[in-house]
Amino acid sequence: MTPAGSLLIAEGLHKSYGPTPALDGADFSIHPGEVVAVMGPSGSGKSTLLHCLAGIVTPDSGTVNYSGRQLSAMPDSRRSALRRGEFGFVFQFGQLVPELSCVENVALPLRLNGVRRKEAESRALAWLERLEVGDVRAKRPGEVSGGQGQRVAVARALVSNPRVLFADEPTGALDSLNGERVMELLTEAARETSAAVVLVTHEARVAAYSDREVVVRDGKARDMAGVR
Amino acid sequence: MSGTGNVTPLRGTEERAREHAHAAGQAPQTPPARPEPRQRVGPARWAADLATGARFAVSGGRESWTRTLLTAVGVGLGVALLLIAAAVPHIVSARDDRTSARSYTNSYSSDVKPGPDTVRLGFGSTTYRGSDITGLLLAPDGDRPALPPGVDRIPATGEMVVSPALKKLLADGDNKLLRERLDYKIVDTIGDEGLAGPAELFYYAGVGPDAVEDVSSRLDHWGVNSPTQEELDPVLLLLIVVGCVVLLLPVAIFIATAVRFGGERRDRRLAALRLVGADSRMTRRIAAGEALVGSLLGLAVGTGIFLLIRHFIGGVAVFGTSIFSSDVQPSAAITTLIMVAVPTCAVVVTQIALRSIAIEPLGVVRNTAPKPRRLWWRLLFPVLGLALLLPRLSSGTGNSGDASVYQIAAGAVLMLVGITALLPWLVEAVVNRFGGGPVPWQLATRRLQLSSGAASRAVSGITVAVAGAIAITMLFAAAESDNTTSTGQDPTRADVVAYIPVDTGAQARDAIAQYTGTKGVRDALGVTEGMVSDPNSKAKAPGDIPVQSVMVGDCRTLKELARIGDCRDGDVFVTKPAEFDDKDTYFTQPGATVNLSFDKDYNPSRSKPLLWTIPKSTPIVDLKKDPQGNEHSGILATPGALDIADLDKPSVQMMLRLDPKVPDAIEYARNTAARLSSQSDIYELRGTKQSDEFQTIKRGLFIGASATLLLIGASMIVSMLEQLRERKKLLSVLVAFGTRRATLGWSVLWQTAIPVVLGLALSVAGGIALGAILLKMVDMPIAVDWASVTTMTGIGAGVILLVTLVSMGPLWRMMRPEGLRTE
Repeated sequence: MTPAGSLLIAEGLHKSYGPTPALDGADFSIHPGEVVAVMGPSGSGKSTLLHCLAGIVTPDSGTVNYSGRQLSAMPDSRRSALRRGEFGFVFQFGQLVPELSCVENVALPLRLNGVRRKEAESRALAWLERLEVGDVRAKRPGEVSGGQGQRVAVARALVSNPRVLFADEPTGALDSLNGERVMELLTEAARETSAAVVLVTHEARVAAYSDREVVVRDGKARDMAGVR
Repeated sequence: MSGTGNVTPLRGTEERAREHAHAAGQAPQTPPARPEPRQRVGPARWAADLATGARFAVSGGRESWTRTLLTAVGVGLGVALLLIAAAVPHIVSARDDRTSARSYTNSYSSDVKPGPDTVRLGFGSTTYRGSDITGLLLAPDGDRPALPPGVDRIPATGEMVVSPALKKLLADGDNKLLRERLDYKIVDTIGDEGLAGPAELFYYAGVGPDAVEDVSSRLDHWGVNSPTQEELDPVLLLLIVVGCVVLLLPVAIFIATAVRFGGERRDRRLAALRLVGADSRMTRRIAAGEALVGSLLGLAVGTGIFLLIRHFIGGVAVFGTSIFSSDVQPSAAITTLIMVAVPTCAVVVTQIALRSIAIEPLGVVRNTAPKPRRLWWRLLFPVLGLALLLPRLSSGTGNSGDASVYQIAAGAVLMLVGITALLPWLVEAVVNRFGGGPVPWQLATRRLQLSSGAASRAVSGITVAVAGAIAITMLFAAAESDNTTSTGQDPTRADVVAYIPVDTGAQARDAIAQYTGTKGVRDALGVTEGMVSDPNSKAKAPGDIPVQSVMVGDCRTLKELARIGDCRDGDVFVTKPAEFDDKDTYFTQPGATVNLSFDKDYNPSRSKPLLWTIPKSTPIVDLKKDPQGNEHSGILATPGALDIADLDKPSVQMMLRLDPKVPDAIEYARNTAARLSSQSDIYELRGTKQSDEFQTIKRGLFIGASATLLLIGASMIVSMLEQLRERKKLLSVLVAFGTRRATLGWSVLWQTAIPVVLGLALSVAGGIALGAILLKMVDMPIAVDWASVTTMTGIGAGVILLVTLVSMGPLWRMMRPEGLRTE
C-alpha cells in the first residue's frame, strides 16, 4: 500500500538505545480506518516503532508525519496534546491507574482534555457498556479480572474518539478466550469510528484481526501486503 | 491475610476454579479463609528460608541491590544517630571530668599560705570576634608549682601555653589584633586532658607577682575533689527529657519506614515463590530473611557513618561547642540494644506489613476494600500518656534520676506515639470525604483513599518532630522568661562599658585619652570615680565611717549619670540619695566638707585627711541610671571643680559608642583595655541575659533538632524516590496518553501536601496539649507562642516542600517513555 492518502507516515526511522539499534531505517504508513498489525520477534523494534509513531519517543533520524504535520519537529507539549486528543493507547501491563475507579480511568483522557467531570464520566460509562464491562464501573482495577481490565483499557483508548489507536500487545496478558473477545471489541469499535489501529503483536491469532501486516526485523519494517 | 495452605489436591481445584473465573472475565473471589495446617518446622528449615530471603536481598540484580541499599542507607542513617545519642552521656561526663580536673574554685582560697607548690591566679579571659577565650594568669610562689592538667610546666613571665585551637587562631595573619592583645610568647600547647573540647580557646600565661597583686588568693592544687552534683532546674530537666524523646522518636519511626522500602516488588517476588510451592509461612520467613539482610547492612552502614562522624567531629565546632573524637563512645548496653532492636524491628515491621495482604500463587491480593481504620486503639496511646502525665501535675517533675522522670518521659513518648498512631486514621477519615476536583487533585485523593498508609508513614516522623518541638518551644518560652533576666542596661546609649583600675589621677586621664583615641571609637565618655568620707563622723572604727562616691567628668558625661540641666566646667552637683543609701548618714550635701584621703587598707584616713568643701550653691539633682543600669549617688564634679589627682585609688569607667563602619571596632577597644591593665575589662551592653545552663541546653537542642530534621528530610527523599520507582511504568503510560507533566507534578504535591497539612494540624494540637501539660507540671502559666508554632509548622512544611522539589527531577526522568519498554 502506498503512503498516498495515509494518515500517519514514517520514513527512514532510526532509533538507538545506547549502542543497541532498535530501528534502522524503518518505514511505515497507515490509512484512516485501517488496522495494521506490526509483528516481529522479541527485541526486533516493534514497540519502539509504535512509540516513535505515537510521538512518545523522538527518533534519532527520519520523519513521522501525521495528517500533514511533522511529529518529530513538534515540541513535547504539542505532541502530548496530540496524544491526548487524537491518539488512543492500549498496553499490555500497568495501564490503569490503580487508585481510580474503572469509570474514572476511562474518563481520564477526557478530563485531561478539559471535559467536565460529569460529562466525561457519562461518555466513559457509555463506552464501558459498549465493551460489556458497565457493571465494573465503580470498581478499582485491582478488583476486576484481567479481561475486564483490558476492556476498560480499550474503552479508555477509544473514549476520546481517537483518529489513531495504538495497541501494544493488548492481549499479551490474557487467555485466548478473553484475548479474542477484546480484539473483536477493539477492532469493531475502531472501524465504527474510522480510527486507524496500529497493533503491535507477535501472535498470528491477534494479527488476523488486521487488514495488513508489517513485519519488523533487525529494526527494519517490511510491509507484508503482497505476501499475505 | 488468609491462611491458605500448602498445595493440596483440594487447593489445586480451588486454584483452577479461580483461573476459570479469570478466564470468564469475572472478578476473583476473596481467598477463602482456610486455616493452614500447622507443621513443625525445624531450625534447618528456618535457616534455609531465612537464607533464601537473604539471597533475594542481594542476588536479584540491580533492582534488588538498589532496594537493599536504600534500606541499608535509611536504617544506617537512623542507627548512626542512635549511636551518637548513645554516646552523649560519655561525651558529657568526659567533658565534665576534664573541666573539673582543671577547676580552681575549690582550691582557690585566701587561706592557702605561700609555699613551693602554690600559684597566685589572675584572670585574663577575653572575647574575640564573638568567641570567648578563657585565660588564667599564673604567678608561682615557689619552684614546684601545682600544674593544671595538660600542662608540663607553668609558663615563665611573658610566656603562655595555649590550646591548639587558640594557637591556630593566633597564627592566622588575619588575627593580628588578638596577637597584639595576648602578646605572650607561646612556649607549648595544652594537652587534650586539659581542655573541654578540641576547639576550645584557652591559655595559661605566666605573669609577674605585680600583675596579680590585687588578687590575694592562691591555690596549692588544681581540680575539684568531689564535684558537687547540682540538681537541675525542673523546667530544664523536662526540656532535656522531652527534647531527647522528640529527637529520637522520629529516628525510630524512620527506621521502621526504611525497612519497608520496596515492599511491593518483594511481594510480587514472594507470589512467584508461592507458585513454585512455598507456603504462606515460608514466604513470611523468606521476607524476614530479606528484611534481616537490609537491617544488618543498615547496622553496618550506620556503624560506618558513626565512625566517620566520630572521626571528623573533632574538627568541627557547632554553636561554639566542640567534642573530642575519643569522647564519642556509645554506652555498651545501649549499643547492644540498638544492635538487637533494629533487626528485630525490621522483621516485626515486615511481618506486620504482610498481614494486610494475601500473597497467592497467582499474585498479590491486596485488601482492595480495606477495613476502615479503627480509632479506639489509636486513642489508647495519648490516653495512656495523659494517665502517666496527669498525676505529675500536682506532684511536679521530681529530680533527675527519680522514677518520675521516667514517668514523664514515658508519658511524653506515648503522647507523641499517639499522634503518629492517630495520623493514618485522620488522613483516611478526611480523604474518604473528598469527591471530585481537578485531575491532579483526583489522582492524589484517590491514591490516598486506596492506600494512605505509606503517605502517613512518610510524614509521621516530621509530625512527631513538630509536635515535640511545639511542646518544647512552649517550655522554652517559659524557661526563657524564667532564665532570661533584664540587665537594666541600655544599649541605645552606649555600646560598651570599660572599667580601668588606676592608681593616680594622671593614669585616669591617660586611660580616658587612650580610649578616646582608639580606632573605631566614635564617642567616649569617661568618668573617674573615687570615694569621699564624712570627716565629722563619730564612728570609732575607720571601717564604720560613712563613705560616698565622687564622680569627676565633663558635663556631657555627668548628664549621663544624673538629671542635670545647665552645666559648665567648674560646676559641682550632689544627687539625692539612691534607694540603697542610708538616708541618715547621707552626708554629701551642699556646703558639707568631705575627706578625700584613704589609707592603704582603703579606710578613710583620719591622720592625713584631705578635706574638700562642697560649694554651698551646689544644686541637688535627681538620679539617673547610667547606660549600664547603675545609679551613682554622691558628688558629681567637673574637672574644673575637683582635680582627679586628689582622689585615692580611683577607677575609670568609660562609656563608648563604636563606629559600625569600622570592622573590629570592639576588638580595638578590647586591645586598649588589655594594654591599660590585665585586670581591666570591657562589657558589651545587652538588654537581657540568659543563664549559661539554659543556653547550653538550648544549644544542645538546636544541634539535635538540626540533625533530626536533616535525617527526616533525607528519609522523605528516599521514601518518595521509592514510591516513584514503584510507579515508573504507570507514570510512563500516563505520559503516553498525553498527561501533562504539570498534572503529575501537582498530583505528587497534593499527595504529599494533604497528609502533611493533616499531620501538621494534628501535631499543632498534640504539641500544644503536651506543652500545656508540661507547663502545668512545672507550675507555669499556659501560654502558646504562636510565632514559634508558625515557625515550626513552616519548617515542617518547608522540609516537605523541599523534598517534593527534589523529587521532581527523578519524577520527570521516570516519566520518560523508556518505562514503557518491556523487553
